Amino acid sequence: MPTHGSPASDGAFALELRRVSVAFDARAVLDAVDLACAPGEVVALVGPSGAGKTTLLRLWNAALAPTSGSVRVHGADLAERTPRELRELRSRIGFVHQDLALVPNLRVLQNVLHGALGRQSFLSAARTALFPAREEQERAAVLLERVGIGEKLFQRTDTLSGGQRQRVAIARALYQEPAALLCDEPVSSVDPARARDTVQLLTALAKERGFTLVVSLHDVRLAREFFPRLVGLRGGRVWFDRRNGDVRSSELDDLYSLERAELLADGS
Amino acid sequence: MGADAPRGARRRWVLLAITVAAVLAALTLKASLGDLVPQRGGAELVLRFFARALSPAFRHEGEVPEGTPSLFFSALAAMRRTLVFGVAAMSLALAGGVVLGFLGSSAWWSGARAGGGSAWSRFLYRAIAPSVWGAARVLIVGMRSVHELLWAVLFLAALGLNNVTAVVAIAIPYTGTLAKVFSEMIDEAPRDAAHALRAAGASHVQVFALGLLPRALPDMCAYAFYRFECAIRSSAVLGFFGFPTLGYSISASFENLHFGEVWTYLYALCVLVVGVELWSGALRRRFVA
Repeated sequence: MPTHGSPASDGAFALELRRVSVAFDARAVLDAVDLACAPGEVVALVGPSGAGKTTLLRLWNAALAPTSGSVRVHGADLAERTPRELRELRSRIGFVHQDLALVPNLRVLQNVLHGALGRQSFLSAARTALFPAREEQERAAVLLERVGIGEKLFQRTDTLSGGQRQRVAIARALYQEPAALLCDEPVSSVDPARARDTVQLLTALAKERGFTLVVSLHDVRLAREFFPRLVGLRGGRVWFDRRNGDVRSSELDDLYSLERAELLADGS
Repeated sequence: MGADAPRGARRRWVLLAITVAAVLAALTLKASLGDLVPQRGGAELVLRFFARALSPAFRHEGEVPEGTPSLFFSALAAMRRTLVFGVAAMSLALAGGVVLGFLGSSAWWSGARAGGGSAWSRFLYRAIAPSVWGAARVLIVGMRSVHELLWAVLFLAALGLNNVTAVVAIAIPYTGTLAKVFSEMIDEAPRDAAHALRAAGASHVQVFALGLLPRALPDMCAYAFYRFECAIRSSAVLGFFGFPTLGYSISASFENLHFGEVWTYLYALCVLVVGVELWSGALRRRFVA
């Protein structure tokens, strides 16, 4: 397995799936998937909708348990971790959701500070929510500056544009000081220019901070442009898993065109 | 087309049933339009009453003992007491409503079950959660299905005429109503942010307080303000039982046929309710919108 980890990736998490299957109501969503990402590696997950990309990402932050197989993060099976260990692990795994999942009627600052909840007791979280310390505010401000919306710190989140809200969601994940960052279709709701900026930002951040980055993407061209390794997923199976340069364009076309053929077959 | 036909038929049956129920109710009550015509004397009284609508009294209309404050100050004092009863009852109801609203919401308990924690705490949740939730729901229904006037009658019999009686009589049904509506608002709040916080390792209480509650809070505040207006009206009405609020002044003046004074007190009540409305509207615009 080729490794693309950067020198800064000492603390980054390795992410691994061993023969993992997931079924919802007897419908297989993932089927015996094997996949491994080295610490600090940057991977794009491509495939048509319904291929199982979201399900796959949700396994790694233990939002979902596999029907069979083993999900391993940082070298250990998630099923063998205690709830306390799982919470600690989750606090180190950032997740940027497709629908962003911010609290719209709170300030941007507050949403970013939510990133640290996994490391806080309830009382210290309440203290942060009501009276954020200067040091906390400064950390949030630095991160917002880094993602390009530094001036929005004290604005209400629902006054921001879609692209700006996306930056808030990324800043919240960064505030976790993640050892791995999982992004589920982070650019599905913004225009192509902004989508490109966002993907560029994510890959640059991964290089800069050394965390493991897995991004599910609809847009194959963005995956081609920014990611050293592409994993093609279709119908719950890994279709290909190779270095970017080794993936043929015809393979990418197949990923989607096969589905079209299936759709036609289903329709008849 | 085929699916519409039975729905149309059902709608016809519902309309028919409502009509039949209305006719049966009217027959049972022996209601007739003639009952709406006032009796002799009654009509005259009503006319005299409404004649004073535009000329409320500015001073006491009857003999009052030496040292009684002017009508203006009497009305002001009654307004103040009405407000105090309303505020006291609402403070109790708000505290109780928030606690019971949480316990009665399914979001609170479902989050707990999904949350993990130690094996012992999971067992605790599984064993205790349904009974606490059920007890909260039963308590909520019990509190709000009895009207504040009935609670007042009950407490008057038990405790006599003291201020706590009125406050508690209002606070109980208001707690129930607030709890019911709060729990629904909490359950209807979007949960995406709550799921995201859980995914980032937040504990159950943190997820609830910081991910879910802020989504429901604007609606909860708006509803609490509305109930505060209602509490002031209830506090005024309890005056008819002898508590020293606007209702007491209104009933006393009405029995003495001092209709000008009645209107003065009614306008005082209007000023109070409109004042609260304006104040809550200003707060809402500042914090919620």
